[in-house]
Amino acid sequence: MRVEHALRLLPNLEALMPLRGLLLSSARPDARVQWGSGGPYLTVGKRDVEPGELARSMGAVLSVVAAHITALFGAYVEALERQEGNDAPGAVAALVGAGRLEEKVGRLSQAQAWYEVALALAETLQDRRPEVETLLAIGHVCLALGKYSEGARHYQRALVLSEAEFNQAGAVDASIGLGNAAFERAEWPGARAWYSRALRLTEAGNDRLRLGVIEHRLGLLDRQQGDLAAAGEHLRRARECFEALNGEAALEMARVLDAQGELDAALGRPEPAAGAFREALAWVRRDQHDPGLDVTIRLHLAELLLETGRWLEADEEMRRAEQLAITSNQTRGLVRIYTLLGTLRGRQGDETGFVFFEQAIALCRALEGPPIDEARVYHAYGLFRQVCGGADEARAYLDRASEIYRSLGVDAEAASSHDVNTSAAGAG
Amino acid sequence: MTRPTQQPPAGLARPAADAVRVLAVGGEAGPGPLQSLRQWAADLGVELEWAADLPRATRLLAGGRWDLVLAVLGERSDEDLTWWVDALRGAPGGPRLIALADRPSMGLALRAEKLGVLDVLALPLQREALANAVARVRSATTEVALPLPAVDADAQGHYALVGQSPAMLEVYKLMARVAHSTATVLVLGESGTGKEVVARTIHQHGPAAGPFVAVNCAAIPENLLESELFGHEKGAFTGAVARKIGRFEQAGGGTLFLDEIADMSLALQAKILRAVQEREIERVGGGESIPVTVRLIAATNRDLQDAIAQGRFREDLYYRLAVVTIQLPRLIDRGDDLIQLVAHFARQFGERYGKRIEAVSDRALELLRNHQWVGNVRELRNVIERAAIVASDGTLRSEHLTDELRAEEPGVPERSTSALPTLAQAEARHIARVLQHTGGQIGSAADILGIHRNTLTRKMKEYGL
Repeated sequence: MRVEHALRLLPNLEALMPLRGLLLSSARPDARVQWGSGGPYLTVGKRDVEPGELARSMGAVLSVVAAHITALFGAYVEALERQEGNDAPGAVAALVGAGRLEEKVGRLSQAQAWYEVALALAETLQDRRPEVETLLAIGHVCLALGKYSEGARHYQRALVLSEAEFNQAGAVDASIGLGNAAFERAEWPGARAWYSRALRLTEAGNDRLRLGVIEHRLGLLDRQQGDLAAAGEHLRRARECFEALNGEAALEMARVLDAQGELDAALGRPEPAAGAFREALAWVRRDQHDPGLDVTIRLHLAELLLETGRWLEADEEMRRAEQLAITSNQTRGLVRIYTLLGTLRGRQGDETGFVFFEQAIALCRALEGPPIDEARVYHAYGLFRQVCGGADEARAYLDRASEIYRSLGVDAEAASSHDVNTSAAGAG
Repeated sequence: MTRPTQQPPAGLARPAADAVRVLAVGGEAGPGPLQSLRQWAADLGVELEWAADLPRATRLLAGGRWDLVLAVLGERSDEDLTWWVDALRGAPGGPRLIALADRPSMGLALRAEKLGVLDVLALPLQREALANAVARVRSATTEVALPLPAVDADAQGHYALVGQSPAMLEVYKLMARVAHSTATVLVLGESGTGKEVVARTIHQHGPAAGPFVAVNCAAIPENLLESELFGHEKGAFTGAVARKIGRFEQAGGGTLFLDEIADMSLALQAKILRAVQEREIERVGGGESIPVTVRLIAATNRDLQDAIAQGRFREDLYYRLAVVTIQLPRLIDRGDDLIQLVAHFARQFGERYGKRIEAVSDRALELLRNHQWVGNVRELRNVIERAAIVASDGTLRSEHLTDELRAEEPGVPERSTSALPTLAQAEARHIARVLQHTGGQIGSAADILGIHRNTLTRKMKEYGL
């Protein structure tokens, strides 16, 4: 049975999200379709799912779900016990822990709900550190959800409290968060001011990890603003910081190499760019595998191949990313992959490429992802329609994208040139 | 940019004559399980370089040409194997991979074979096994260039009607007969045999002055196919942001090519039938009947008679479409057309990638001739495009072909795991082949194998498939 048919029989209920995830991750392409004329347009909706196989895999998924729920219940009970034992900071930590568990499995709204309960309790304490920790956690999840103004508000409060308490690490993290919130809204001067402030606070100490993160973000910012030489210098410093940590920051190193690849691509150096992306993938593989980051790097590599006219290889790289995103349940990654596949088909003048944008929109809706994802799909879809016929449709899709950007407080024009994949939400 | 290692990229050093350049990747703890390699290297004529971890290996791979990579797989051996195959794709010199694992399962060996890995060897590494692998690599280094034939300059389109095999001559004759009429044509043939090229050629040589419009029914989501074919009015459904003219109307006065027609739902088949019979359509959300004059050419890789028997395809529509039927041959049934097609694609992609490709090596040609080509001309086209991308001079060599093709390399020493397999190995191999055929669907695979699905699941677990 085709996934598109199977999904029609599944009500959009929160409790059934793991089943939806299982359905998508167990979907396989029909081997006979691969070389058919429909093969190049294959999306997850056109893959097959076997009810028997789904039934067999359900046990394993249910035990993962049960373990997750058990951990959440456990965290709640621990919070109660701590509260009863007059250990309110401990209760806050337990509730924040539950939120982190939710965040780990991609349930961002649920994570925010836990953090908010934790915050309400933390606000009553004399010790402000739990409150700062909670505010930083909410800020991070808000950015991942595309709630940039709300995220910035939480980070701002965390900064004020940290400074009042001489909590330098908290102040640095809050400043980085504020920089990220500004970055996401394409407010480049604001982002620079916050990152610079974080840098000043960090330089006094010897926190190589935070220093590396800030240098990385400054590198991304300089690239967005077109100062490629300065971007290169920041990325070099970020690498030095992470290298000094003897492999303990493998994923951070992967992110910096990914940014280096992007920079080399912008400088018109495709071979070093591809080398940096491949090395970044090696760092991801070396550490605890992070499928989300893996997908992002592969997408950047695919974009490089696309821009250099190596369409066959770009297509193959995107398909590898697609396979990884499907099996590891990276549905947001899938949205980005299909958007890029549609863009590739647009470059090839292939009108049937619209199927990828339609699939991306369907995924955004089915999974209730952040609205920013849908805006980005509509934007790319509009550009595709401008090239591949349908001026009215092009205008309608671009208008829809602008409308969503506006509702999120993001400058639509800046957002359209904003690199989707360097978003702070994905930066961990 | 600072490099953790201060040594120059070893791959750039000039290799000793005849030396096989080997990159060993020993995992985080250093050479460990590969300690003896250094002692054997000189004896075997191997130039050996070491990378302690994946990032260093990636840098060395990018820095020069390698013949062989020896990679120790970790606990997640399957994922590691896939990662390595991916990492080596497109690496300079097309190095072959030997995967090393503590206790390689039969499933791992089979997957490695499918991915074109040269061999899977057990740790600790035995000298004999390495010598065998080096011999296989060395035997592939001498290839003779054969000039490619001149190709018909009229050949056009992605998959081009190239070739003079008897099977294709029959196709050309039939096309010539139908082109000048307006008869509906049904083109049948396996995936990648060139059904759309045939449809385009019929259109180009036909009387219709209008455009050629192709719709791939398998690619378009079912809920959008109707509006794609017939168009829609603004607001007809969620997402109908503007009025859309459908493909039937776009093809007015020309040809509408409906590819993969068997993938259409019965409800939509009824609407197509109405459009064909009454020569008018209605846009989705519109009440007006719009007259359309199009020549219809349909195609499928499915057995439509079987689909009719199963109630999945309307018999009346079949007879409307199959006024003239053209059956396209499989690539393996086209004999020497293969070399003509290789020459055609080599020229096409050589031009695209700024290269002048005029020859193919004897070994590469042998590999191309021995391949089964399940994707027919489309698969061949992909293989030649990939080869054209990585080719460094005017000759396509075996190292430029995909690992899957190179895994079928004849005339070289056997891989260590395949000498006279045990009954269990043969069974595992057959099960893997059937699972590949069914796209991993256990139910269908169990049907083909004639065993209960529980038995198949048990065997899959037993063999690590």
